Amino acid sequence: MNFVHFMLQNDVLELTWEHLWLVGISTLLALLVGLPLGIMIARWPRWNKPVLAGANIIQTIPSLALFGFLLPVPWLGARVERLAILALTLYALLPVIRNTYTGIRGVDPAVVEAGRGMGMTDRQLLFRVELPLALSVILSGVRVAVVISVGLATIAAAIGAGGLGEFIFRGLAMVNNQLILAGAVPAAILALSADLSLGWLERRLRPR
Amino acid sequence: MPGGAGITNAARSIISALRRVILSPARRKFAYSRVLCYILPILLAIVLLASCAPSHSDRIVVGSKNFTESLILGELIAQQIERTTNLKVERRFYLAGSYICHQAVLAGRIDIYPEYTGTALSAIVKQKPEGGRAEVYQRVKDEYEKRLGLTLGPSFGFNDTFAMEIRGDDARRLGIKTLSQAAAYAPQWRAGFGYEFMERPDGFAGLAATYGLHFAATPRVMDLGLLARALHDRQIDLAAGNTTDGLIAALDFFVLEDDRHYFPPYEAVPVVRQAALQLHPEVARALAGLEGKISDEEMRQLNYAVDGQHRDARDVVADFLTKKIPAK
Amino acid sequence: MEPAGSGIAIEFRDVSYTLPSGQRLLSDLNLQVRRGETLVLLGRSGSGKTTTLKLVNRLLLPSSGEVRVNGAPTDVIQLRRSIGYVIQDVGLFPHYTVERNIALVPTIEGWSEERIRARVQELLRVVGLEPQMASRYPRELSGGQRQRVGVARALAADPPILLMDEPFGALDPLTRDELQREFLDLQQRLRKTVVFVTHDLREALRLGSSIALMEAGRLVTVLPPENFLHSDDPWAAAYVKAFGVGSYDAAERSAP
Repeated sequence: MNFVHFMLQNDVLELTWEHLWLVGISTLLALLVGLPLGIMIARWPRWNKPVLAGANIIQTIPSLALFGFLLPVPWLGARVERLAILALTLYALLPVIRNTYTGIRGVDPAVVEAGRGMGMTDRQLLFRVELPLALSVILSGVRVAVVISVGLATIAAAIGAGGLGEFIFRGLAMVNNQLILAGAVPAAILALSADLSLGWLERRLRPR
Repeated sequence: MPGGAGITNAARSIISALRRVILSPARRKFAYSRVLCYILPILLAIVLLASCAPSHSDRIVVGSKNFTESLILGELIAQQIERTTNLKVERRFYLAGSYICHQAVLAGRIDIYPEYTGTALSAIVKQKPEGGRAEVYQRVKDEYEKRLGLTLGPSFGFNDTFAMEIRGDDARRLGIKTLSQAAAYAPQWRAGFGYEFMERPDGFAGLAATYGLHFAATPRVMDLGLLARALHDRQIDLAAGNTTDGLIAALDFFVLEDDRHYFPPYEAVPVVRQAALQLHPEVARALAGLEGKISDEEMRQLNYAVDGQHRDARDVVADFLTKKIPAK
Repeated sequence: MEPAGSGIAIEFRDVSYTLPSGQRLLSDLNLQVRRGETLVLLGRSGSGKTTTLKLVNRLLLPSSGEVRVNGAPTDVIQLRRSIGYVIQDVGLFPHYTVERNIALVPTIEGWSEERIRARVQELLRVVGLEPQMASRYPRELSGGQRQRVGVARALAADPPILLMDEPFGALDPLTRDELQREFLDLQQRLRKTVVFVTHDLREALRLGSSIALMEAGRLVTVLPPENFLHSDDPWAAAYVKAFGVGSYDAAERSAP
């Protein structure tokens, strides 16, 4: 059967939407939590070790194992989407936190000194100077987070969260290569386009 | 998923309003935030659109688990809907188990899938699966309708529960039909069970206690796929399988009757989303048309056609439907 | 604005500064800066001159003693906005145009757009840059141009006090000379109170109305430039010798 026809028949679009939903919302949450955390440890480096170590530990846990840990948890396990989104968010945290931290610390100290000496408050420094100059690096962290999430969301299908991974697992059970590809190819395309477009944005924002 | 077009439009207008506010002259000095404000709205847009995008309000999605019997039932449901309604049916088969199917139907990714009452009662409603067929069915139905927004269609008619199988010629020779009768011969037999049946407290342990089964030696634990062969080749004399195993007829096995009703009922039923039924009432009629249409023996034949004869499930189901429920 | 020469603008009383590690950067500093004068803090690396400077706008806080800036707001943020600050690396914001960089303090103080634009153009003239520079970015500018912008930025809100930390140190000799001359010219006109840090004796002699020599965290002596060259003070003499400065030409100080 013609591959494209096959993909349309199996409504690849629907699973792609499910996939995007998982990736989109978890990246959003990772940003909402990770950006402030990264800013905090840049301001108070005392917390740098525990926060980064914590995020690092989470990253080290194999994804399927994390899914397994969270399944029995009452509220989370009841609806697998919650579980998957939480896990994806956790995995996206480290790149976001770490890059926010290095981005802000990487701003030219002369710039920060000049700003502070001229009478900018900490908040003004943060929003008008440090964040804009760190944006490229932060975006690079977001890029990594998104690419990781696209891949992990594929595995989340194993516990029933839907998304493109479902094609892969169903295809494996059915020994149907076309079905496997119907999941693998769009997922790869998703990851690549996210990587390329965010990479382009990153380069545009680099402070010259 | 909530209805598509309205929320999509709302999302779009929210996003353009956001953009206008953020890019207004007063905030021009925040030039960099223009970028952040492209990323955030894009993420929000993706999230909003994906949460209400292609809602399949025009079709029915049928799921199934990843073993033959579930596949056959799923195909049966799908074809029945196709031939008795105008709805398009999408198949999402080979989902790996009850949890996954349950999550999918809760989230609305599938609308119907075939489940077993005993499994639903123990794994999802989380109660002990005991009682008669009707009682179990009703308990599951009530819980599903009350708490989960789901309901059960009518039973397909067969009970796929644990089967204690012996060779057909032994059954005829000894003239035994029930497990109570078989208990007398147990000390002369070797038994073979799957790992799970041996380990579960509601497996072999309870069975032996209920019927007073004492085998000469400890039952052999074997891979499920090898049990049938072992029984046929006289390496074991009694095996644990399922009542609807395709090989039962083919290899001339006999299923001993569970006269003390030790095994809970596992009636095959369709699990349906109430929302889908409200949207498409014709589905209920389609499912009603399947009520009681498959006996234990017929299910065995269907299983055998796919597993043993390697025929395509689609064809097997199509033939069955034509014979059983002639098209009007 | 108060006429030059009247009153003390900045005062250090028994000021010491010690690092958390215990290292003493400043000991018992007693110093007064008169309004309208250009006080040069002269000394070699590690003498404590930059530390002294930063105590004025409270980038550093004294471990003991008191630093008073007379007539200045008590709130540290407002204090800093009323003091111009120019550093060697300039520290222009790379993502701002020249205009926005200069307009930094006026912007955060809430000046109107027209007032800001007019002020930026005025300052560009004052520091000798062309009007079209306003829309350029720091990366497009030469070192000398950048520092001019730095000075313009420091002057934007018309602060009575300027702190300058080796502002011309990173520039080539020709540009440095140019900027020094322009600084003298500016000072003649504006009469700001300036505290200027340098390790270059020639620069000190040229720009300062008073030279405070520092060594190892202590104030050694305070002398007007005319007296510095012939001073008996051993440190001053050592400095003069090291620089091989022969004579002091008073004419160099006068504006063209």
